[in-house]
Amino acid sequence: MVLEVKQPRPMWEILFSTHHTDIGLLYMISSITALMLGGGLALALRAELFLPGLQIIQDPTSFNRFFTVHGTTMLFLWAIPFAAGVGNYLIPIMVRYKDMAWPKLNAVAFWMIPVGAALVWLGFSDTGWTAYPPYSIIRAPGPAAEMWIFGLKILGISSILGSINFIVTILKCRHPDLSIMKMSLFSWSILSISFMTIVAVPTFAASLIMLYTDRLGISGFFNPAMGGDPIAYQHLFWFTFHPEVYIFLLPAVGMLYEMIPKFSRKPLFSYQSGVAAFVLLALIGFASWAHHMFATGMSFTEKTVFMVGTLAAVPASSMHVFNWIATMWGGRIKFAAPMLFGVGGIMLFFASGAGGVVNTALPLDFITHDSYWVVGHFHLILMGTVSLTFTGFIYYLFPLITGRMYNERAAQVHFVLAFVGVIFVFMTQHLLGLHGMPRRIADYDGTIPGWLIMNQIASIGAWIAGLSYVIMLVNLIKSAGSGKEAEMRDPFKIGEEYYDYTRREPHH
Amino acid sequence: MGHATIEWVYVGVVIALLTWVGAESWNVERIVEHVPAEAETIKVIGQQWFWTFEHQDGKKETGELHLKQGVPYKFELVSKDVIHNFNVPDYTILMDAVPGRVNVVWNLFDQPGEYHIQCREYCGFGHPTMKAKLFVEPQTAEAAGNATAAPAQAPAQGENATSTATAAPAGPPGTPLTILEGSSVQGSPDFDPDTLTVKKGDKITVTNKDTLPHTVTSGASPSDPNSAKQFDTSIIEGGATADIETTNIAAGEYPFHCTVHPYMMGKLVVQ
Ligand code: HEM
Ligand SMILES: [Cu+2]
Repeated sequence: MVLEVKQPRPMWEILFSTHHTDIGLLYMISSITALMLGGGLALALRAELFLPGLQIIQDPTSFNRFFTVHGTTMLFLWAIPFAAGVGNYLIPIMVRYKDMAWPKLNAVAFWMIPVGAALVWLGFSDTGWTAYPPYSIIRAPGPAAEMWIFGLKILGISSILGSINFIVTILKCRHPDLSIMKMSLFSWSILSISFMTIVAVPTFAASLIMLYTDRLGISGFFNPAMGGDPIAYQHLFWFTFHPEVYIFLLPAVGMLYEMIPKFSRKPLFSYQSGVAAFVLLALIGFASWAHHMFATGMSFTEKTVFMVGTLAAVPASSMHVFNWIATMWGGRIKFAAPMLFGVGGIMLFFASGAGGVVNTALPLDFITHDSYWVVGHFHLILMGTVSLTFTGFIYYLFPLITGRMYNERAAQVHFVLAFVGVIFVFMTQHLLGLHGMPRRIADYDGTIPGWLIMNQIASIGAWIAGLSYVIMLVNLIKSAGSGKEAEMRDPFKIGEEYYDYTRREPHH
Repeated sequence: MGHATIEWVYVGVVIALLTWVGAESWNVERIVEHVPAEAETIKVIGQQWFWTFEHQDGKKETGELHLKQGVPYKFELVSKDVIHNFNVPDYTILMDAVPGRVNVVWNLFDQPGEYHIQCREYCGFGHPTMKAKLFVEPQTAEAAGNATAAPAQAPAQGENATSTATAAPAGPPGTPLTILEGSSVQGSPDFDPDTLTVKKGDKITVTNKDTLPHTVTSGASPSDPNSAKQFDTSIIEGGATADIETTNIAAGEYPFHCTVHPYMMGKLVVQ
């Protein structure tokens, strides 16, 4: 497990380190592990859905546990920690400081993650990642549900601590010569999500406690039998988790700003536009939470307000897309693996954005809500955009972290398989939703026209995507140990400076 | 610089498009949501894991809903336990049934036929099987004539032979099979006896001592392709009884289950 060729070190030194690159590395390794485990659950789910009836996962409750833990793992143990890992690795370099502002706090924030992960995985709850009451308080079996609640509690605290650290590092420890309007757009993305985390997450943290006391029966916040209201939970939940959707997304946006200009061999189209879009999204992201709740019986006025709030966030996202396309326009693009994943991610971002507008249009939401359309839609962004871009960035950082080069051919095969797989699974699921298939069902009626064949296409796509990530894992492990030594000044042969430790100022 | 101009134009176009989408949606939703004053009310009750319907005239149905073509219906949705979602995909009816609240959704059915009702909000173990059937009956005698020609109208499709189970059984009671109180809770004792042995030709009388509806249906689970092929009592309301005739069942062992609570399982041995 010694990764830096130039400076081999024993594993324990990395484990007990508080240095930002070591913590960053730990974050990345543990989140990639989570991606593999969560992916394994996804493949099992898709295997079960290949045929109607129950074959692989015999009991619907186990199926429910599988998708709950899959969703929780992917969101809180892959997407969030991976972004935090890259942030840890790069932010101090980008703002030219020796480390994060509080290195020990940083280590504490990281080491809370395995604890939270253990609670989630050992409990294996069946509430769905949304844990809507009253199901989660009166019917979900314990102690799994309690363990899920405490697991999420710990993960939430971890990400708040991490965010505080990022904000202070970026705002207070930035080199005096580096003005905030000169710092990299990746730093802007981390700054935005850190502020959003601090504003958004406490609401959910509070509702977790309320869920727990409701489960104990000593309160009835969300329990109608005790005068509570389950819809109140949904408001609290989505007040945290709609902004959180942007928290998953923005680091990927920041990474794209790192990669796109570099591999296009062109300066960025507009830095100001990028900053403006980050700030706008961070603010407007808070005005749309109840668009997840159109079918709960909201009044017409409420629905209108949240439709407008949701649509208002779209221009900011589309400014990013414009910026990337304008940057690539006329560039001499080098399609190495990181760029392939980046461009693939942008294409799917556009597709999922268009689908999102459909969900927002009130009458249409009543067709798509809680159907497989929604599963297809959020996976297009989470798998298609966020995870593919993160994957591209793994390849991009690989020489910086290990001093070695990964196998480019294998990485390109990985991209093609992953991209094709994602389209097979998630585009098909959009159609499946339009044919009326509800999400979160272990079994379905194969005689309904279209359901059987579309589920089978989706399962095959999932296995293709799963296979592609096995290729990545082998590539990374082999190359970290015995890959070609990277030419550190310009490992991708772009003709431009790669990260430079001595100058300590990444550049586009 | 020309840079910024292009971007402003682009953002302007995006905003114009979104404004159009928003305005159009607002307008359509406003019209769609307006419940006509003459609509007939149907009370829809969701509970783990079946649907009950109460018509305006007091008639109750479980697992099936019979409505008339061309009449506007207003559905009042309630739930007895967790959140469910009343969904008829063919007519884009979709609304949560939330405990402690009454949600309203309305529709007018313009095509007679048989449609799926399903639950579209995760509600636990039986969520995938929380379904019901919607029968839209032709409005007029003339329409009825037209509709019998339509294939979707066939009233008893396939295996569903014994559907009058809730009616009081005729004649002396047969071999008893009891559905115990509290059966609906997963893990509790359900059928008594768990394995029932009878001679071919014997009558079985099922007594539901629970407060919730249950069924005794052949097959290991609702997804078993042979489900309900040998016998099926359909819904037995709490406190009611139903008979199973074994004259047409070949000797052998048959697993059975409750379609409402698929973890309730037992076995019938016919000698
Ligand atoms: C190719 C990769 C993936 C496949 C094949 C896959 C497959 C699935 C399946 C089959 C479900 C259950 C759907 C249902 O029954 O409603 C699901 C749910 C979910 N997935 Fe994925 N998934 C993948 C990647 C991801 C990624 C990368 C993320 C997040 C970063 C993610 C987040 C979720 C979430 C949040 C849920 C919802 C869980 C719930 O309903 O409680 N998935 N996925
Ligand atoms: Cu349900």
